[in-house]
Parts: sequence; C-alpha cells; structure tokens
Amino acid sequence: MKSSVLDAPARKNLIFLLPGLILYATFVLGPIIAAAVLGFTEWNGISAPKFVWFKNYIELFGDPYFGIALRNNAMLMFFYCVLPLLIGVALASIVSAIKSREQLAIRTLLFMPYIMPSAVLGIIWQWLYNPAFGPINQILKGLGLGALALPWLGDFNFALPAVGIVATWYYFGFCMVIFLTGLQRLDDSVFEAARVDGAGSLYIFRRITLPLLLPEIRIVLLLTIIASIKSFDLIFTMTRGGPANATLVPNIYMYELGFQLGRYGYAASVAIIGAILIFIVNYAVHRFVRPADGV
Amino acid sequence: MLHSFRTNAARARRAGVMTGTAAAMTASMMLGHAAAATDLPVWDDYSYEGQVAVMESLNKNFEAAHPDVKIQRTQRTFDDLALTLKLAVSAGDGPIVTKVNQGAKDMGTMAQEGLLLPVDDYIAEYGWAERQSDSLLARDRWSEDGQFGTGPTYGISGLAEIVGLYYNQKVLEDAGVELPLTSFEDFLAALDKVKASGQTPIAMGTAKQHLALHLLAAVSQAHIDASDRAQLDDLVYGRGGSWNTPGNLESATLMQDWAENGYFTDGFQGISGDDAVQLFIAGQAAFMTSGTWYFGDMQINPDIHFMAIPAPEGISAPLSVGGVDLAWAITSIADDDASRDLAGAYIDYMVSPEAAIEWANAGYLPSTTLPDDADVDLAPLLTEGVAMWKTLNANDAIGHYPDWASPTMLKTIDDNMPLLLAGRQTPEEFIGMLDTDYAGYLASKN
Repeated sequence: MKSSVLDAPARKNLIFLLPGLILYATFVLGPIIAAAVLGFTEWNGISAPKFVWFKNYIELFGDPYFGIALRNNAMLMFFYCVLPLLIGVALASIVSAIKSREQLAIRTLLFMPYIMPSAVLGIIWQWLYNPAFGPINQILKGLGLGALALPWLGDFNFALPAVGIVATWYYFGFCMVIFLTGLQRLDDSVFEAARVDGAGSLYIFRRITLPLLLPEIRIVLLLTIIASIKSFDLIFTMTRGGPANATLVPNIYMYELGFQLGRYGYAASVAIIGAILIFIVNYAVHRFVRPADGV
Repeated sequence: MLHSFRTNAARARRAGVMTGTAAAMTASMMLGHAAAATDLPVWDDYSYEGQVAVMESLNKNFEAAHPDVKIQRTQRTFDDLALTLKLAVSAGDGPIVTKVNQGAKDMGTMAQEGLLLPVDDYIAEYGWAERQSDSLLARDRWSEDGQFGTGPTYGISGLAEIVGLYYNQKVLEDAGVELPLTSFEDFLAALDKVKASGQTPIAMGTAKQHLALHLLAAVSQAHIDASDRAQLDDLVYGRGGSWNTPGNLESATLMQDWAENGYFTDGFQGISGDDAVQLFIAGQAAFMTSGTWYFGDMQINPDIHFMAIPAPEGISAPLSVGGVDLAWAITSIADDDASRDLAGAYIDYMVSPEAAIEWANAGYLPSTTLPDDADVDLAPLLTEGVAMWKTLNANDAIGHYPDWASPTMLKTIDDNMPLLLAGRQTPEEFIGMLDTDYAGYLASKN
C-alpha cells in the first residue's frame, strides 16, 4: 500500500502544524503566559512592571470587592447553568414528542436567542427594563400593577436576577438542542420495554431518560459554567457591575482594575484566579457528573 | 518610533536608488509636493454631531493656513480616549497632539511618565495666559513629584464647562414658583412647590453617567464662598484636607432626602443620565443639574434656562463646579523641535479667539474669552452660560470636579452613591468613604 506523507515520523510532520501553532502561540498561549507573568507585577500600563511576586494574590484574597464579585458569580451560575439546563431538558422532552415539521419550527424559534451576540441582547434588554421608556414597566403599569414596576437594573435585590434571566433566556435554547441530539441517540426499544412494563411518563423520564442523558448534561454543565465564569458582555452592557457592585463579577472587576484604574498587574491576578476557578469547577463536573458506565 | 513628520523623502530616495538617477529625478519631481507634506496625528474627544462639524471646520482652516500640513484626525469617545491614549503613546504609536483628561489618572500619570510635554514655552510665545485665567491653566499643571496644580503646564482647553442648574420655566410657573430664584432657600421652596403640584422636581438617572455626582458637588460647592475656596483647592490638588465639610454633609443629606421622598424621576436608579436629560427636555421635571455640554440638546426646548445654583445666605460669590473640558496637550511622540512647534501652533489655533467664535456660533461655551467685537449670534442658553462664565471668572469662583482628587475617587463615588440614595448608607458614612479613598491616595504618594 502506498504510504502517505503524513505517515512519516511526528517530527517530520511538525512543519504542517506550524501555521496553526504560530497563530495559537501568538493569540492564545502568549497572552496567557503574559497574564500569568503580569499577575506577579505591579504595572500601570506605562512604566516598566515591578515584580511583587505573590503580593497581588495575597491582597486579592483580602479584597472585599473580589469577594463580592465571586459571590455574585456563584449566584449567576444558577441563571447561566441550572435554569437553562432544567428548561432545556424539559423543552427537549416536549419538542422531541412533536412531529418533525412543527418540531423544526419550534426548535428554531427556541434556539434563536443563542445566535444573537450577547452584547446586543444586553443593550436590547437594558431598554426593555428601562423604568421610563421600557415596555416591561409600561405593561405592568397598564395592567394596574404599578407597584411592581421597579427600576430593575438599578435595584439592589433585582439587578442580578434581572441580568441572570437574560442569560437563562440566551442559553436555554442551546441546552435544548444538545439534549435533543442526546434523545435522538437513545434506543427506542428501551422506552418501549419500560412502557410494556407499565412505567409512566414521569417515571420513564426520571429513571431512564435523565440517566441516559448524563453525557449531554455533563457537556451542558461544562460549557455553561465556563460561560458564567467568563461573563462580561451582558453585565457590561446592562449594568457595568452596578448599582454599588450588586452585579460585579470577576471579569468586570478585572476590566475596572486594568482599564479604568491602571492596575494591570492586579487585574491580571484576577484573570488568573478566574481561569483557575474554571479548571477547578470543570474538574469537579468531570469527576462527579459521570454516567454509570463511566463514559 | 513614529516620527511626527512622516515625509515621503525616504520613499523617494529608495525609488531613486532602484531605478537610476534619471528615474530618481523624475520620481523626485513627481513626489515633490508629497515630500513637503507632513502629517499631524491628532486625537480628540469631540464626538457629538455639532462638535464634529466645528472640529472639521477648524482643522480645514488650519490646513488652509498651513498648506504643508495634513491633519490625521482620530475621534474617540471620552471613555475610549482614556482607555487607549496612555497605551498608544507609551508604545510610540499615538498622536502628537491629543486631548487628555486632567487629574491624576490620565494627565498626572502621563506627565510623570514623560508621555506629555510641558507647553509653558508656547503659553509665553502665544500669550495664552491672556486668553484664559491662571486658575484655569493651573488645572493642567503637574509638578515632577506628582503635585497637582503646580509645576509645568501640560495643556490648555478649548471649551469651558459649568455645572449649573437647568430649569424649565413653564413647569415652574405652572407649579406657582416665582422666578428668578435668588437664594438656596428659594430653590428648596421651589422643589417643594413642584412636588406638591404633582410634577417631578429634579430629573435624575443614576444607572449611567454622573448626574448624581454633579448634583452633589454643585449643591456642596454652592455653600463655599470664593474667598474661602482654599480648602477645596487643597483637597482637589492633593495637598490634603477632609471631605467632611458642612457643605458636603448638607448636600449628601439633601440628596438622600430627595431620593427617599420622591423628588427625583420615578425609577431613577434604572435610568441613565442621558435618559434623564431626554425626560427633562420633554418637560418631565422642573430642574436638572448638569453641565454646559448639554446646551446643544437643551436648546430644543425654549422653556429651559440655565443658572448657577443659588447661594445660601451669607455666601456672596458661590463656587460653581466646572472649569474646562479635556486639555489639548503635546505628547512625547513629538520628538523634535519642528514637530513640537507645529503642535504648539495647532493648539494655539484651537484656543484662539477665532476658534472660540466658531464654537460659540455652534452653541458651545468657549474657554477663551470672546472678543468684545466678535460677530457671534449666541443662542439664548449660551448667552446665559457666557454671562455666568464671565461672573465666575471675575469672582474666581469656578469650582472643581471632586473626582479629580484621586485616581479612584470616581469609582468610590459611583460605588457609594447608590447606597446613599437608597438609604443604605448615612450621609456621614458616605463622606467617610470619600475620606478613606482620599487618605489612601495621599498615603500612596508618600
């Protein structure tokens, strides 16, 4: 059989990796290493960075604003991960039972928010929530529910859920599509056997569908957790972390520290902690959300 | 490093070497005009439609007077300029002439790092000190040891800014308020009357921009007589002091009362400052405290007028928050005498009486005094603004933006203002947060 040039030893094929490797090193690896190094410095963006080793990290763990940002991020995970997952599973179950033509239309409609840039969604929702001009409060007032017409994004208690609901709306369609592909993967005979044995719909969903969908649940959790820890654009366009840091998250804090206060070294340490958090949470998901057969 | 005068001479020389002497001569002749042309990269923050028109006209005039100069204008928003200017100039790839925000965060840092050049020679050469008062130029001074308000001067501004009281005459008259308001007590009584009439007394939006900061500072500084301004100057110029003053405390207390008792726009916590301005222009409130930069928008409604916050009893010449817009400055990219002199000439034109007339005709308040015989058709609001500016300058009563006091003061105020207005923080605690921020800044300088 004629051998391919790609069958050559790995070192001879390195040349084919070079274009991708150069791009990766320039735009991903380089900045990551630069951020890691910057995290050990004090740098105002102009003068030469001064090495302070772990001073930034020590300060960070006593920084109340960073604590607020982490707490807010933990709360946002409910809206970025848990709610979209629950809604996605439920909708996938419903949509999968609908005939194929209607299913396509419904699936497309529900997936639609996910194809829009989240920064654009943030600007649109900011307008929807606007107490003076926004339709949400206008409708509430029109219905005689003026007491419920709150300044949503300016309210200490509701600002974070108001932003979070937009994230839920953004991600549930994506979760639904993942679960729909999972459902298509499952063998119908399992469900038929269960029905023959007298199992009800809810019992089948809880004891058969959900356990068999664990690989998809794991994927959804991984991706939405990463999205929640990376959250920036929705919050930046809707509240910029306000009011009084009620929606502050680590990435907004990093932006403020670096680009507004000129503390690039300290900002880099926030970024590194965020990256470490993503690794830890994702490892936990990998470790604990695991199908019985270990797939 | 980017050179100020990017000539085409080098390109012409290379062409000459490659194609021989005859071709080089031809190329040289063909490129003769281009070789003499020089680029002047300029960054500014004039992004509103009216401002852009004035800048384009002024740049065109300057190019007409200097046929060998081509201005490369980059227009940025206030935030984008602050975000990119330091990084660009320190990387050697920025403007020669730029607008820069005074205060520690931008001008102070850049001056200390040698990214801005002093303009004192040009002040003397062109007589800028005769066009603008020394107290205005002091806002562009930074000493080598980081002291604000003293030392070399790093810029000069083209526009004046006054944070004052916009009022809607019709709304006030409908509420039974007698004009003019002559004292702070009159102002408070007017607020009560408007509230009683069912209208919104003060247009406010705290979700974005800084209307609340402007109201706080305007009320506070109206409690300071110009003869007694040293304490505020010391505070803002980083010479020390405390924010715990009777004026600040009264202002914070009033703000909290107004927020809690419905004197601000309904739902102000979720409304941006710009939205509040639109509501005010639409006649949805009696008063709004903000700056002269809104003149262009405000003149749509002829019922809207502009005045200083009236003084409390015992204050004859109250301070008004304000000063000047971002300063024109020369960056370290200008690395030879020729480029520095060209930059000086450009800035001279931008703060000239001719430019001031152009700004005034467009409805903006120039910082350079308008010539007495100037052919200017002032809009009614601008007439009020110019009169105020003259009085304030004559009384040395132009106050300060509190956020200039430290690099983090704006964030501290932004973080704590919603807490004050929501009643989650007492006025004393709020002032205490400002003092803590300021003390941290003073400690960092030592």
